[in-house]
Amino acid sequence: MGLEIILLFKYVPNTTTVNVDPNTGTLIREGVPSVVNPHDLVAAEFALRLKEKYGGRIRAMIMAPPSATKGIEYLVGMGVDEGILLTDRAYGGADTLATSYVISQAIKKVVDHYDLIVAGQETLDSSTAHIGAQVSSWLGIPYVYYVTEAELQDGHMILTRQLETYVEKYRVKLPALISVLMHTLQPRDVTLKNKMKAVTQKPVKVYTNNELQLNTLCTGLKGSPTIVAKTEFIGKIPRKMQVIQGKTPEEMVSWLISKLKEEKVI
Amino acid sequence: MEGMNILDQKFDVAIVGAGPAGLSAAYYLAKKGFKTAVLERGREVGSKSIYGGRIYAAPLKEIYPNFNSIPVHRWVKRERISIMPDYESMISIDYQGKEAISFTAYLTEVVKWMGIQAESAGATIITDVPVTNFYKENNKVSGVVSGEDVLRSDVVIDAEGVNRLVLEASGIVKPLKPELVALGVKEVLKGESKQIEDAFGLSQNEGLAWVFLGAATANTPGGAFLYTNRDSVSLGVVVLLDKAIANVKDHVSQLVESLRTAPALKNYLQNLRISEYSAHLIPEDVWSLRPERLVYDGLLITGDAAGLLLNAGYTYRGVDFAAYSGYLAGKAIEQAHAKGDYSAGSLSSYESMLEESIVIKELKRFRKVHEVMKNGLLFEKYPKIMSGVMKRMFENSDGPSKAWDAINESCKENQYSMLKLLIDGYRMVRSL
Amino acid sequence: MSAPERKLRLTDIINVNIWDVDSKPHIVVNYDKCKNCPTKACVRLCPTGCYTETENGILFSYEGCVECGTCRVVCPMEAITWTFPKSGKGIFYRFS
Ligand SMILES: Cc1cc2nc3c(=O)[nH]c(=O)nc-3n(C[C@H](O)[C@H](O)[C@H](O)COP(=O)(O)OP(=O)(O)OC[C@H]3O[C@@H](n4cnc5c(N)ncnc54)[C@H](O)[C@@H]3O)c2cc1C
Ligand SMILES: Cc1cc2nc3c(=O)[nH]c(=O)nc-3n(C[C@H](O)[C@H](O)[C@H](O)COP(=O)(O)OP(=O)(O)OC[C@H]3O[C@@H](n4cnc5c(N)ncnc54)[C@H](O)[C@@H]3O)c2cc1C
Ligand code: SF4
Repeated sequence: MGLEIILLFKYVPNTTTVNVDPNTGTLIREGVPSVVNPHDLVAAEFALRLKEKYGGRIRAMIMAPPSATKGIEYLVGMGVDEGILLTDRAYGGADTLATSYVISQAIKKVVDHYDLIVAGQETLDSSTAHIGAQVSSWLGIPYVYYVTEAELQDGHMILTRQLETYVEKYRVKLPALISVLMHTLQPRDVTLKNKMKAVTQKPVKVYTNNELQLNTLCTGLKGSPTIVAKTEFIGKIPRKMQVIQGKTPEEMVSWLISKLKEEKVI
Repeated sequence: MEGMNILDQKFDVAIVGAGPAGLSAAYYLAKKGFKTAVLERGREVGSKSIYGGRIYAAPLKEIYPNFNSIPVHRWVKRERISIMPDYESMISIDYQGKEAISFTAYLTEVVKWMGIQAESAGATIITDVPVTNFYKENNKVSGVVSGEDVLRSDVVIDAEGVNRLVLEASGIVKPLKPELVALGVKEVLKGESKQIEDAFGLSQNEGLAWVFLGAATANTPGGAFLYTNRDSVSLGVVVLLDKAIANVKDHVSQLVESLRTAPALKNYLQNLRISEYSAHLIPEDVWSLRPERLVYDGLLITGDAAGLLLNAGYTYRGVDFAAYSGYLAGKAIEQAHAKGDYSAGSLSSYESMLEESIVIKELKRFRKVHEVMKNGLLFEKYPKIMSGVMKRMFENSDGPSKAWDAINESCKENQYSMLKLLIDGYRMVRSL
Repeated sequence: MSAPERKLRLTDIINVNIWDVDSKPHIVVNYDKCKNCPTKACVRLCPTGCYTETENGILFSYEGCVECGTCRVVCPMEAITWTFPKSGKGIFYRFS
């Protein structure tokens, strides 16, 4: 039998290294390639371990332009089984509400059966952490976030949720949606075998609104009540490089603390 | 092999590395109906590609019938060689040609284009996977290994470039030594195309290739270069690694920084912004770097990995030579396939085709340049002598001196005999 | 003639590049071997300044590596275990 898992992910511009013009201090966005949202790689690793333990299948789902197929190929390269791409001009310009609407309706319409939906904690580019919560409410299923461990027990899932100073345990009915605490696991590497499958078999199902038949008043820009009033670039903060002084770790730590105090950081 | 995952899918040809060599081989073979897989460690085809800035067109035209769609930036119509005694002055030789035979481009874009050609011809390109070794059956290379996975193929082309981790792992070559390679460090400086044209006095689509010797490399054997792209300039420095270990006292990035900020180049590089900083090794002593053979049972070695790069002193020809060697490797495989024999003996037509091709012919013709480069004079003594000559000629408050006197005096000042200088000059001209 | 004064710091220059930084290093340095190194050439010749010399010896950080291979070739102590990053990680060139 095994677990039927839907992995939600986003394909985002790689801004882990922020490109700043050294002369003017402005952001450079030209030709920035996209990557699978790093926190979603952690979610993928989480799902892959569940599959290894309990068997089943993982399908990676994304609402995005067709270029996100590359992201699906990467995840299949890691060991995910298939991809589902939801793409349509009518879905463009969506805020989190319209995005979660499309995702949840697609799950209802094209996914015959699922036990668990796994999402990342948040994205690199907008980091609202809305999608998980919203999808679960559209679907009316339990939602637990900051999850670090999951175990199957008589048809239920025992989830460990890591908060700043304590740990919570939940027992939830399936199907459920979880979002995985960032940095919980180290994502595995792409393997030749899996990447070969991704490239030669292209296990990706594409759905446009022709198939999904959603009300386009609820999707894309039209379905998005959020208005971004203004975005402001926070100017460049000049960096100071100093090499930590001290012979022993203790000396280094006290040197660092005194410097941070000097800079009024702590 | 134990603990290995052998993939069900088998290919006719597996190629290590999606650079100019690997992709040109893939394009040819796929077109001829071979089931071809290219394995590339980068995220995308071209994402690990970096070079100086200009490519010679003829070999690529022969390989690619639709060469016309290659992403050219500018056709090189102007060549300039400058000797920089210091960062403030330079002595330049300008050449303006009618027919352009080379063009400037980003290698990232050219390689991506080659990838599209190969894929359209039917090749399978697998990115994100570094090959770690060859897979052998009965001592014949019969596929490639990546981690624990094995992809089997009838024959393998090694096109992994200068850092030959796979050839090393398989014991075919020894680790690189500093005297065999040079380090190239480069900045791409962006602006508007009009700005580039105005600053360098170029018309639309017209490009300049500019080489610097002397101070620009901290008097280390190597060279510095400037190529004009459509809306940017590629500016870089190349230093022979063994000499750089002793000569480069400051940080190597300082060399490019100094060139960018050199008073002598100020007027050219104003208001451009850095958009990429890159570095790569270059085969330098190509004859010592070359593996003992370029064919083994089930294996052919191409491009930089085979040391098939020409350093003509004022220019590198690596991209077109790599591509051409890949193309010839493809032909050799086609012939070997017809015989049903992928042994080294059967594949050795690759070596003989190379020998008769422009690649080895040019490499032999320029063999002596390397000797001249290595003796270091070109980079240390000559710029000083030349600058002394020029100073005497143009900055003499008593009026200009005669060129002959100026050379004589400058030689004395730099403790170098004029006879020696003449002999060097003769040798150099002969070697070119 | 001395070189013109440095206008831009290397750390600011390399900031224009794009990396997909791996969470595990692809290069490992055995610092013990660095102690007796006669050249410390990596410090001067690593183009992105991944090697720093401190009073406690050499310090290496892999994040800014452009995978050129220089350190591997110039190291006289065989102190460097050098591989390429996996999964397409590391430097991503666009205009070179
Ligand atoms: C105020 C605001 C205005 C916006 N306006 C626009 C706009 O005008 N045009 C526009 O294109 N975008 C816009 N966006 C971006 C877009 O709404 C969000 O990127 C998208 O809805 C996902 O939200 P998020 O990135 O914050 O994801 P989060 O909620 O932080 O993501 C949590 C998890 O949900 C999953 N997930 C996220 N996105 C997807 C997806 N697309 N498919 C599948 N799974 C996913 C992943 O597992 C992820 O880890 C806006 C965002 C905000 C905050
Ligand atoms: C600074 C500099 C300036 C230069 N200037 C010029 C110039 O102006 N004109 C010119 O014609 N040439 C120039 N060259 C030379 C030119 O760049 C090379 O000769 C040419 O790129 C060689 O092509 P290749 O296909 O053999 O190798 P590469 O271009 O190095 O391609 C090798 C490919 O294999 C991949 N790879 C490596 N190892 C593995 C592995 N284990 N598994 C999977 N994939 C792997 C790499 O990621 C890469 O994509 C210059 C080089 C440098 C460094
Ligand atoms: S490979 Fe090149 S960039 Fe990377 S650490 Fe070594 S010298 Fe520096």
